[in-house]
Amino acid sequence: MSDVSLQVNRGEWISVVGHTGSGKSTLAQHMNALLLPAAGDVAIDGIGVRENRSQLREIRRKVGLVFQYPEQQIFEETVYDEIAFGPKNWRVPKGEIPERVAEAMTLTGLAERFRTLSPFNLSGGEKRRVAIASVLAVRPDYLVLDEPTAGLDASGKRELCRLLAKLKENGTGIVHVTHDLELAVEVSDKILVLTNGRSKLWGTPEVILEELMECEVPGLVMPPVPFFAGRLRDLGLDVPVTWDPERLVDAIERSVRR
Amino acid sequence: MKFLNHLTLGQYVPTGSIVHRADPRTKIVATLFFLAGVFLADHGMVFALWAATLGGIVVLARLPVSMVLRTAKPVLFLILFTGLIHLFFSQGTPVFQWGILKITQEGIRMAFKMGFRLFLLVLYAGTLTLTTSPTELADGLERLFSPLKPLGFPAHEMAMMMTIAIRFIPTLLDETDRIMKAQLARGADLDRGGLFRRLRAFIPVLIPLFVIVFQRADDLAVAMESRNYRGGAGRTRMNPLTWRMQDSVTLVLALAITLAFSFLDARLPGL
Repeated sequence: MSDVSLQVNRGEWISVVGHTGSGKSTLAQHMNALLLPAAGDVAIDGIGVRENRSQLREIRRKVGLVFQYPEQQIFEETVYDEIAFGPKNWRVPKGEIPERVAEAMTLTGLAERFRTLSPFNLSGGEKRRVAIASVLAVRPDYLVLDEPTAGLDASGKRELCRLLAKLKENGTGIVHVTHDLELAVEVSDKILVLTNGRSKLWGTPEVILEELMECEVPGLVMPPVPFFAGRLRDLGLDVPVTWDPERLVDAIERSVRR
Repeated sequence: MKFLNHLTLGQYVPTGSIVHRADPRTKIVATLFFLAGVFLADHGMVFALWAATLGGIVVLARLPVSMVLRTAKPVLFLILFTGLIHLFFSQGTPVFQWGILKITQEGIRMAFKMGFRLFLLVLYAGTLTLTTSPTELADGLERLFSPLKPLGFPAHEMAMMMTIAIRFIPTLLDETDRIMKAQLARGADLDRGGLFRRLRAFIPVLIPLFVIVFQRADDLAVAMESRNYRGGAGRTRMNPLTWRMQDSVTLVLALAITLAFSFLDARLPGL
């Protein structure tokens, strides 16, 4: 990877979009110092990973990383133990752990009765929630998720996005790695588009959509709603390039009335 | 930073050379001859001859020397360890003594002999896998063991198991790497503390790995059955092995070399 530069603030939702092999996962693993940059630097709350090798563990606590298919990392006998694994590793006081687990389970929408069940007997979607809860129980300041919606159905996707929005409101910085541009423009504050390990575009969803109208990025398909909006604009209608169908309908209505 | 990318087990490097094109059965049997020869070698000069023979094969196979040497990397520690044990714990004429540490003439000789023997054994075996693809290797073994089939020996099944095992080594290394990273991200401490703590710390890596392995095995079994795989009986091959004249010649040559070197070894006066 080279030429990639971005800033993530707390309470902000950043999406990293790119085709397969564009370096999204590599970038994600740099964000909590699992991979260290060969050149350049990654700084978390002002702590640069290159200068502060002794603080990598602290960085990994601050930046939670949810891997692709995180349910594959499950190993404990009960859901409770699985979620408590992270807090225990970071020496959270014993008395506080049940509270952390309960909090993470509420956030991810896992009912109380799951506590004593074996995570291996849960459904795929529930396992994924347990895995995400196990990262949330550490209360990371930033949360990096690598393709968190892969393999989830539409309602699972929606629920996950609702969870991330809630975390964002509570002041967590979200980095959402995905190949799904349609989802990214809908949910994020800013988007980074990667191609071949380089940053191609960076900006708000509106800016990204406008740029994509001008130039095509290989491997990225324009979502249908903004694509349609762009075509209408080419035909002379005064409409914004938006992902929001409601906004587009309103704009068309106004434009046609005039 | 991949945690586990230094392992190059059973790596195949196709160069299309005459060695690569030889029948796998020839290569397997010839390698067995050579391994036996190296194992029996005792004399410095015979070791040099075996090394030269290996060099000749590597040149014929058009393999980069560094790549052949690299096959010994995983066992380098074992070679050094064996060498050191022999160096310090052999009886004989002392040449150096410091406290209880004693180096003898015999020790030095044994250290070199054992170290070099192991090194050559690994390189010969490594050259076989560098010049023979896993599929060819399995085919060759299956054919070599097929005379035992009437006795109930599962030659085909064994070959299939070997192919699958070799095929999945890199995949499993990738999976291990990924799970290790995932657990590190959750604060697991994989490389601190004593042996017992480290083993315990590996449980979060081992259990998910087992789950994935069984899942993969199940998927593979379903995929094979859905393509009507029913074991070896009545199965034909896309590239059937054909034994040619040059294979017989090569084998006779290999046997001749082994016998000649061993004979020389026995006749040479002790070093």
